[in-house]
Amino acid sequence: MKRSPIVIAGTLVGLIGVLKFHTTPVGLTVPAGSAPPAASAGRGSSAGSPAGSASTAPGSAQAGSASQQQGTERTAVGPVVDYNYGLVSVRVTISRNKIVKVGIASLNDGNNARSQFIDQQALPILEQQAMQAQSANIQGVSGASYTSAGFAQSLQAALRSLGFA
Amino acid sequence: MTPPVSRLETVMGTVVTIDVYPEPGATAAQLAGARQQIQQACVILHRADEIFSTWQPGSPISRLRRGDITAADAPAEVADVIAACATARDLSGGWFDPWAMPGGFDPTGYVKGWATQRALAVLAGASGVSGAMVNAAGDIASVGQLPAGQRFRVGIADPAAPRQLAEVVELTGSIATSGSYERGPHLMDPRTRRPVARVASASVTGPDLGLADALATGLAVAGTAGLEFIAAIDGYAALTIGFDGTRGATGDFPFAC
Repeated sequence: MKRSPIVIAGTLVGLIGVLKFHTTPVGLTVPAGSAPPAASAGRGSSAGSPAGSASTAPGSAQAGSASQQQGTERTAVGPVVDYNYGLVSVRVTISRNKIVKVGIASLNDGNNARSQFIDQQALPILEQQAMQAQSANIQGVSGASYTSAGFAQSLQAALRSLGFA
Repeated sequence: MTPPVSRLETVMGTVVTIDVYPEPGATAAQLAGARQQIQQACVILHRADEIFSTWQPGSPISRLRRGDITAADAPAEVADVIAACATARDLSGGWFDPWAMPGGFDPTGYVKGWATQRALAVLAGASGVSGAMVNAAGDIASVGQLPAGQRFRVGIADPAAPRQLAEVVELTGSIATSGSYERGPHLMDPRTRRPVARVASASVTGPDLGLADALATGLAVAGTAGLEFIAAIDGYAALTIGFDGTRGATGDFPFAC
């Protein structure tokens, strides 16, 4: 039953798989510019507020902000997401239908030692895996961590603002 | 392949991902229909949150816990959940017990899966759709398959190495995973009423995510001894990963090849 480890990035795997099938971006649904990303919903169970929903409604504040097209490369910053240890937002750059760069746009973990430890471990890995996961063949991850869920949420919104997913 | 129609929703204190996979050549009207159904699924999730949020002092479940109201005064869903929790408690041999939680009856270990399964039901059987998946931060309900006819594949995060998958599952129906992961031990042993986790990770697959969620919670508390009670439940299978990485599984656990 020994299996070789498979690199993941939480729920990133499934959503990034989507990229492979795109040939033409659908078009930006968020105004260009650098509108501040929406703050995420508070901790705990908050009913009613769709603050974190990343639908692609035009002008939707939480859908991330996309930059102007620069040649074939385009960059977007996802919303600030509460991932249980702090707040993170992700910046992604795509060229044609491939992610060429993923990074942390902002991070506030409250300078708490445990949060910092998790961030120092997890975030560089997530950045790298967002790149590697493009070739994975999985639709979801069970038992995914808060860090990867928050990272994935911000990344997915950023990708949406570029016309993906 | 047409990409899935997707949505991320912040609800129930977590992030829920909804993916609907259109059949090849699905029409624009069918895609619009899928979006509408996703919207309905989100409404169901938010309603469940309003009723069962133990974080909201004014929610029906909080009022029930305080003794302000009885189940008869609460929305009908409360009685349904109480009955289902009693069934899950019995099926788990008492290892899942919402009545043994601090602060009184707390169905949280069942409700996330239950609500997610209800949201999925809205998406099932839509025209022009091959399959759908609702993922509530790692507890996943699915129906159907990928457009090319393959089953959904889902990874189980490695509790010892968050950057890796411990296993991959070919999913029919649902999977719930319970364990320490980043949060550390947070499970309550209903027998001692103290925090405990006897395995690092416990996953349960089966047709209903509410029951799978409850059983995974009970299994993480019980440890490998709990595999027996899962094996006895028709349609459900389980995997445990020990703190040393040791795997335990029921004979029919759907490992992907």
